[in-house]
Amino acid sequence: MLLLLLFACFVHRAGAQEYGGGPIVFIKPVRAVIFEHKFHLGKNMICQSCHPGLFAQKAGEVEEKEDFTMEAFNQGKYCGKCHDGRLAFSVNTNCNWCHIGVQGHKHLEEYELGIK
Amino acid sequence: MMRIQNSKYCKANNRGQVSLEERRRFLRLGLKVTGVFVGGSVLSLVPVKAACSELLGASVVGTYPYQPHYAMIIYKDRCIDCERCIEACSQTNNVPAYGFRNAVLSRKITGVAASKMIREFLPVLCNQCNRPPCVRVCPTKATYKDKKNGIVMMNESLCIGCKACMTACPYNARYFHRDTQAVDKCDFCYRKRLQNGETNTACAEACPADALFFGDLSEHESEFYKLLHKPTQTILVLRPESGSMPNVFYLQAM
Repeated sequence: MLLLLLFACFVHRAGAQEYGGGPIVFIKPVRAVIFEHKFHLGKNMICQSCHPGLFAQKAGEVEEKEDFTMEAFNQGKYCGKCHDGRLAFSVNTNCNWCHIGVQGHKHLEEYELGIK
Repeated sequence: MMRIQNSKYCKANNRGQVSLEERRRFLRLGLKVTGVFVGGSVLSLVPVKAACSELLGASVVGTYPYQPHYAMIIYKDRCIDCERCIEACSQTNNVPAYGFRNAVLSRKITGVAASKMIREFLPVLCNQCNRPPCVRVCPTKATYKDKKNGIVMMNESLCIGCKACMTACPYNARYFHRDTQAVDKCDFCYRKRLQNGETNTACAEACPADALFFGDLSEHESEFYKLLHKPTQTILVLRPESGSMPNVFYLQAM
């Protein structure tokens, strides 16, 4: 039992530190914004840098929040915590680095994520 | 060693030999041949303003013949292709699913970012040209430029569906509406909104990123006019070589 628990813990940690999943696409409040773990992990960042303080681990949970908007980012919430112009590029510049748009989302679904 | 001062070529190269009078005469001849200015008057076949505008493209800037002179300013770097403008337009103007009055062009660009696919977006719509090619080719005068506000409008009852205007438009801003059996296009929401006293188009109102601005350029005191008339502002228009003098201006935001 103890072994199983240890094993589970190990799997959880290993899986978390090198996230193997594909890109995450937010479709609220505007469609569509891309986030990729692989570009964020490793740059002095571990899972606990963002989870669960900034973002809940459950997919889609943060999109349901009322203040998940650009105004909140500008005040240093969510993405804006790091993307403030000092740690990383500010959220009020380089819009199209994350905003891939409706057409970008369609392209992603068709060619990279596979049609659901 | 040869002495340059005594050389026979020295005289011809001496600029002091050409008198001021001679030089002036030469310059005046040059101006007469090219036909630019003689004594302050225009001697060219094409008015200088028109010639300049055709060369520079952003021709309409500075000359606003209509009252009110409606125009749109688009900050092209701010567009995020959320397509709310398209949704708002479809709802306001009853645009069918196969048709379009405005669109967002997009293309992949190279660069380093947090995603491997960076895209560049360009919202496009009818440019309400001052010299509209679509109006010129219409055989029945179904499409016309409004004499008062300069909007290129459609008279659906006159349209015979020959689609010549669709071919002539340099901006691909027209489509054939199957229900009305006529070509349909953007009219800056004139029929649905401006006519009823509203001052903004549906697309500009719906834009969450402040990329689209609609306004009247004949009011020189307005904020909208000042957006376009900053001294250092670079103004871009689409397809200036078509000579259509478009009224949709693209500005760099960053």
